[in-house]
Amino acid sequence: MTASDNMICSHCLLPVGLRAMRRAVNGEDCAFCCYGCCIAFQVKRGKSEEWEAAWLLVRLGVGGFLSMNIMLFSFLLYSDAFTGADARLVPWVHILLWIFATPTVIILGGPFLHETWVNGLQARLTSSALIVIGVGAAYLYSAFAVIERGHQVYFDTATMVLMLFTLGRLLEAAGRARAARDLEPLLAAERESVVVVQDGTEIRRPVREVEAGMLVRVRPGERIAIDGVVVEGESHADEAVITGESRLVTKAVGSPVVAGSINLDGPLLIQSSDAGTATRWAQICRSVREALIRRSPSQRVADRVVGVSVPLVLALGGLTVLYWAQWLAFDRSLLIGLSVLVVACPCAVGLAAPLAVSLGVGRLARRGCLVRDPAALEILARTRLLAFDKTGTLTAGKAHVVDIESDGVGADEVLARAAGLERHSEHGFAHAIIAAAATRGIEPVIARDVRIVPGRGIQGVVEGQAIAAGNGAMMGDLGWSLAPLLSNRGRSLEEAGYSVIYVGWDERVRGVLSLEDALLPEACSTINALRSRGLHITLLTGDLEVAAKRVAAAAGIDDVKAALSPEAKRAALKRHRTEHDAVAMVGDGLNDGPVLADADVGIAVGSATDLARETATVVLPPGGLSLLPWVIDVARAVRANILTNLMWAFGYNLLALTLAALGLLQPVLAAAVMAGSSILVVLNSLRLERLPDPASWQIPERASGAESARGGVGVLVALGPAIGRG
Amino acid sequence: MNYLLVFAAGFAGSFHCLGMCGGFACALGRDPRGGHGATMLRHLLYNSGRLTSYCFLGVLAGALGQVICTRQGATVNLLGGSLNAAEQMLAIVAGLLMIAMALQFFGMLQAFHRLAIGFGSSTFATSLRSLLTTRSRAAPLAFGVFNGFLPCPLVYAFAAEAVSTGQALPGFLTMASFGLGTFPAMLMMGGVGRVLAPAWRQRGVWLAGSCILLLGIITLGRGILPFAAHMEHGWSGVHPV
Repeated sequence: MTASDNMICSHCLLPVGLRAMRRAVNGEDCAFCCYGCCIAFQVKRGKSEEWEAAWLLVRLGVGGFLSMNIMLFSFLLYSDAFTGADARLVPWVHILLWIFATPTVIILGGPFLHETWVNGLQARLTSSALIVIGVGAAYLYSAFAVIERGHQVYFDTATMVLMLFTLGRLLEAAGRARAARDLEPLLAAERESVVVVQDGTEIRRPVREVEAGMLVRVRPGERIAIDGVVVEGESHADEAVITGESRLVTKAVGSPVVAGSINLDGPLLIQSSDAGTATRWAQICRSVREALIRRSPSQRVADRVVGVSVPLVLALGGLTVLYWAQWLAFDRSLLIGLSVLVVACPCAVGLAAPLAVSLGVGRLARRGCLVRDPAALEILARTRLLAFDKTGTLTAGKAHVVDIESDGVGADEVLARAAGLERHSEHGFAHAIIAAAATRGIEPVIARDVRIVPGRGIQGVVEGQAIAAGNGAMMGDLGWSLAPLLSNRGRSLEEAGYSVIYVGWDERVRGVLSLEDALLPEACSTINALRSRGLHITLLTGDLEVAAKRVAAAAGIDDVKAALSPEAKRAALKRHRTEHDAVAMVGDGLNDGPVLADADVGIAVGSATDLARETATVVLPPGGLSLLPWVIDVARAVRANILTNLMWAFGYNLLALTLAALGLLQPVLAAAVMAGSSILVVLNSLRLERLPDPASWQIPERASGAESARGGVGVLVALGPAIGRG
Repeated sequence: MNYLLVFAAGFAGSFHCLGMCGGFACALGRDPRGGHGATMLRHLLYNSGRLTSYCFLGVLAGALGQVICTRQGATVNLLGGSLNAAEQMLAIVAGLLMIAMALQFFGMLQAFHRLAIGFGSSTFATSLRSLLTTRSRAAPLAFGVFNGFLPCPLVYAFAAEAVSTGQALPGFLTMASFGLGTFPAMLMMGGVGRVLAPAWRQRGVWLAGSCILLLGIITLGRGILPFAAHMEHGWSGVHPV
């Protein structure tokens, strides 16, 4: 890998590839993927006092002036304005054209020549070599014809071809910049600076120098570049880039803010809670940059084709000239050869994939969906099977109490005593029981001498009585009596896949708590939406079969494989791959890292792990399961776009090449056709901008109290009837 | 005779141009280093750049008209003279377009005006600003070339007229006459622009509007009235075809 492989064009944010140009604009070192981007960037960004930005325009303008004059005079020649007595003027007009054409070729052709030269030194032939050779031949032949007093010169062809290619590149660059609009804030993050308040003075510093505890002032309309807590001011923020939801979140003193969100309407003073480079936002930005540098498979194919095609086209052009020279005058056959060179310029082929991919990646990133490898988009588009993990993906990943059965005492008392014990435990079930008690407004009793029995439960002393909460085995060990009603109930709940906790005191089991990890509210609609897209859905989980089946039935999944070890999951994926070609695995990124890495596309939903160590190639924001159908839509649109772009570029090139080789295409027309094809590819890719946003039901409902909405309220609703029964 | 009318419309219309192009011409101002000669050269360069763009547009427009006419090659016999049906259609469309432009000069059809001017002019104009401050001697020339392509209702009107001529050479001559017509006012712009009272500008705009309206009606008539068509055919001596 050379250094230029790792650079992104400052203008269109695509990898600069082999045609890198370097310039200093506004004192910053910039790299450009092509001449067009170089001009467009400097026109847009270059300060007017910068000599070069204006100089490029001057060159373009003067080139335009000269080539238009050449066209006008040539037009007079073609329309036989110089006939009869004026015929003696013709050689003089030819000389005039030569005088005009020489600076034009130097001005407009310079960048192409430079590119050819730089690549030529590295023994590479690029498409600009085709232009240079074609135009050079037309110019030299015409100059020769002027000296020899020939009756036909082709300066107009040479200059118009150059003009059209320059203009085409400029327009193409403008289109690419539009495509980069979504990505711009992501890539700007590393360069961003913040106003740090230190000892009452405000200093602007780069965000990478911000450390935890610093005070940062953010004005309305600015992007918040750090994670932290508001210490002064009130405002609204848009957190779409991080959470996927595009709506206003109220921020007041004490509210946490996330880096990447936009402060909308009030100044905020924020105390940073983390270093500026450690935020999720900074990680996302780094990861997007890395993704853009990678080449997708179709891009690699296209690049190889371009690499091979340039020498082929040169040979074809030469053969065309030789062939036609047998039947036509040499100048005619030279022109046909020129048409072949110009029309076969494979610019559009090279542009087909990266533009669509960067549009897709940018589009997804704006909703907090991160694609770490452009290849993932293409594979995801042709994936026919989605395998889901259960815990933390389709379910909230947190157990909650759904039912309390009791024997001779009130359900509240059982809960109060259980909560009193479980306060001393860190187990997931303990949190669920304490939360259930809190929701019901029950004060946990005070327990002493609490002891955790591994693999069994917990026991202690309340009001002088021994008390225990744990599984059936624990109650058996203790030898406490269990009423048949409770015992049957417990067994049937366990068979139904619930987790069951027995609570007893005074040597008798008094109640049974059943817990489950509830299905996410959006799981069912998401599965339906995915199925309506023709995807086969399967559930691969390490949980017990009954629990898995119940969740699957609720979510509407028929194909379930339960009680799988991580190795068994990978084996199952492998089997599916033989049937379905490409498989994607959706998980939470915590427990299933290796499986995600093993799938063709690993999709992590709301991964809490460090993005740098993330094994999934697609990362959805926390609570972003419902975005999955939309992500698939975008991936499919991107792939379809790449295919149409490639088909268009190849088909167009082949057709135009045939026409040109048959002598049916004028060189100027060929140049226009070629410039047009790149612009059409750009326009076709820009259609991706019009993809609909995720529908409103798909946007995760994660308000400030989102967790409680999912856990707490759910418990309340589920508890109601159960307690009534108890 | 048509070309004279075009020239007159260009001359009168150039007072209108003070709004946009004139502003540029003023901004071009005096050469900071040289005396009158250098300033004159700047403006000459600027205007020849503009003229070249206009002529080029004229040739393109005329050629376009020619392509349209020969494609739809059905000819009809009218009062002994044969006239291309497509040419008639072109004349009608171009005439209507010109009348619309003219009406807009009188303050009517404002929506049309916005459509004509708003089209990409802002980004174009801002990117051109950097050219004005450049010290390069060639900058005014480049500036003029780009200026010629700036969206302007006058240019649109005459481009439409050029298309309706149906041949490249008359198209070229139409736009050349127009461009030459705008020469005097724009050349004087450096000095006169600031002196000229708004009332005079308004009169110039009306005059330009009237000329375009007249041209539009003639063009429209050439398409609609067989008689006018016949007459035009009879006048073809005017066209060096």
